[in-house]
Amino acid sequence: MKRKGWFQVLRPLSPRARLTLGTLSFVLPIVIWCIVSYVPAVWHPQVRITDAGSTDYLQVDMRMDKAAFADAVKEAEDAQKDPPKGVPSNPIYLPAPHEVAEALYTAFITPPPTPDSPWLHQSLWHSIQVILWGFVISSIIGVPLGIICGTYAAFARLSEPFIEFFRYLPAPAFGALAVAILGIYDGPKITIIVIGTLFQQVLIIANTTRKLDVALVEAALTLGTKKLKLLTRVVIPGILPDLYRDQRILLGWAWTYLIVAELIGTSTGITWFITQQARYQHFANVYAAITMIGIIGLGTDIALALIGKRLFPWDRTLVKEA
Amino acid sequence: MTCKTAIGAILGLSIFAAAAAQPASAAGLTIGYSDWPGWVAWQVAIDKGWLKEAGLDVTFEWFDYSASMDALTAGKIDADLMTNGDTLVTGAGGGKAIMIMLTDYSSGNDMIVAKPGIKSLKELKGKKIGIEVGLVEHLLLLDGLKKAGMAEKDVTLVNAKTNETPQVLASGQVDGIGAWQPVSGQAMKGVPGSRPVYTSAEAPGLIYDVLAVRPASLSSHKAEWMKVIQIWDRVVHYINDPKTQPDALKIMSARVGLTPETYKPLLKGTHLIDIAEAKKTFKKAEGLKSLYGSSSIADEFNVANAVYKEHQDINSYIDPSYTEGQK
Repeated sequence: MKRKGWFQVLRPLSPRARLTLGTLSFVLPIVIWCIVSYVPAVWHPQVRITDAGSTDYLQVDMRMDKAAFADAVKEAEDAQKDPPKGVPSNPIYLPAPHEVAEALYTAFITPPPTPDSPWLHQSLWHSIQVILWGFVISSIIGVPLGIICGTYAAFARLSEPFIEFFRYLPAPAFGALAVAILGIYDGPKITIIVIGTLFQQVLIIANTTRKLDVALVEAALTLGTKKLKLLTRVVIPGILPDLYRDQRILLGWAWTYLIVAELIGTSTGITWFITQQARYQHFANVYAAITMIGIIGLGTDIALALIGKRLFPWDRTLVKEA
Repeated sequence: MTCKTAIGAILGLSIFAAAAAQPASAAGLTIGYSDWPGWVAWQVAIDKGWLKEAGLDVTFEWFDYSASMDALTAGKIDADLMTNGDTLVTGAGGGKAIMIMLTDYSSGNDMIVAKPGIKSLKELKGKKIGIEVGLVEHLLLLDGLKKAGMAEKDVTLVNAKTNETPQVLASGQVDGIGAWQPVSGQAMKGVPGSRPVYTSAEAPGLIYDVLAVRPASLSSHKAEWMKVIQIWDRVVHYINDPKTQPDALKIMSARVGLTPETYKPLLKGTHLIDIAEAKKTFKKAEGLKSLYGSSSIADEFNVANAVYKEHQDINSYIDPSYTEGQK
């Protein structure tokens, strides 16, 4: 394939080019990360102490700025004492890829520290359940409401101005209120996800519904379709593929509320793991947990895209995308 | 037909969701605890099954500290482990709870850390200090300044979140910070050569940690709360006994995801209080030796810093009878 072929305006890529570029989009950031981590000349602004020498305030594995380290060495040498030794290193908040990979693996095989605390996979499953319930409850209300708003202008006018207002209220601000009403367990967490998702959902789905080809509705009316049947036989089937795609995007939206939701009430799920590890600066574990969320999110989305392709074989945009 | 099934499915789902949203928290007592050595100590009693052994139906729920206070204010837990000052703060905000027992006082874990080259609090005169205004570290700093013959106006306070103070100190834009462990330890690790110039070890009793119980639960479960205090005495002795301390350290460090060795210094900065000592601290007196004295200092501080407006009636927050009634 000619190089030029990649830069044609609004033309689909060949399957091979798609695969190459898709792989590269993951490989490139990882390569950059590797270079920054393993090639000391690139960044490594700090020094990790390997031998404290004669100094009394340094400890092995402590990290300090290069300049401060140079001062410490000079001070010791001037005093004819044993200078501290160290190797260049990155700040503690940027662990190397292999450290994160190792953390990812060990986090799963490490048994829970106390008998009453969950394994990591149980914590993850808990988080996934919170997300799913939040999304299901939001959809039960949001999808029908969105479709009705999109179909009938009167409904839209009655509800959308308020929803527009409400969607700007930050969901986490309802945390203490949700705890007061729903208790300390999963209730308030699910509520935060619903609040974060629902209002966007209504507006997005209403907009999708409005984009339905008017010709379809007119043809149905000409053929004498009644009001309710117009909704169930024309509008809903007409928007279904787009609705499905909206839901995929909104599910991702729900995930972004997970961390704030789980900070409310008792500490549970993957958030408990992340905040606890961050408090003691075990950043390799933090990155590992973030990676897990990414893998679960992307995995779900790819699965849903493939299912969508099966469900709506006539939908061009889906075929192009997956 | 399909319509009916769909409705049925939705109904089923919502009922299931509602059930999932409210896991069983039956008739038993619920206590909130969070990441502080004096509270993590309860893990020993939990893991050893001492609560069940005493016939108690008590559940400990793990929170972020501020979330635990929210839950107490909302009346969703029976009791919370807090500092005496914060008990007044939540009480002033409508979540009144009564301090019935002491777990510990901070003895070194809270500290003012100065950058390399500064060796005493006096040398911080005219300098900038990163601190979370209105919180315990602020109170600790004021206490230290007073002892050093200075006042708040002799230093410049830079309001910073306690969790972020390590970065604030490392940035070099302040000359000192105030934080508690493990944050203060991390700050010193991040800026080698920095050292504590004033710690809670020099002001024992400035910050007491307590078990505060909601009045309703207290009156209806008096016998149970008495037993809880008894178990605490057992915990303190188990942790302080050199023979059993390694096991206790193992349990406590596991709870927060550390190794026993790294947890030991954190425990050292916490002075656990057993029943015999608590009985003395529950005596009314001025000064930091008494919970009353310490709490009224905290009250003064809270009003002066507009944490709340009206002075709180300290006596109504403390019920010494539970600790005094122990054999």
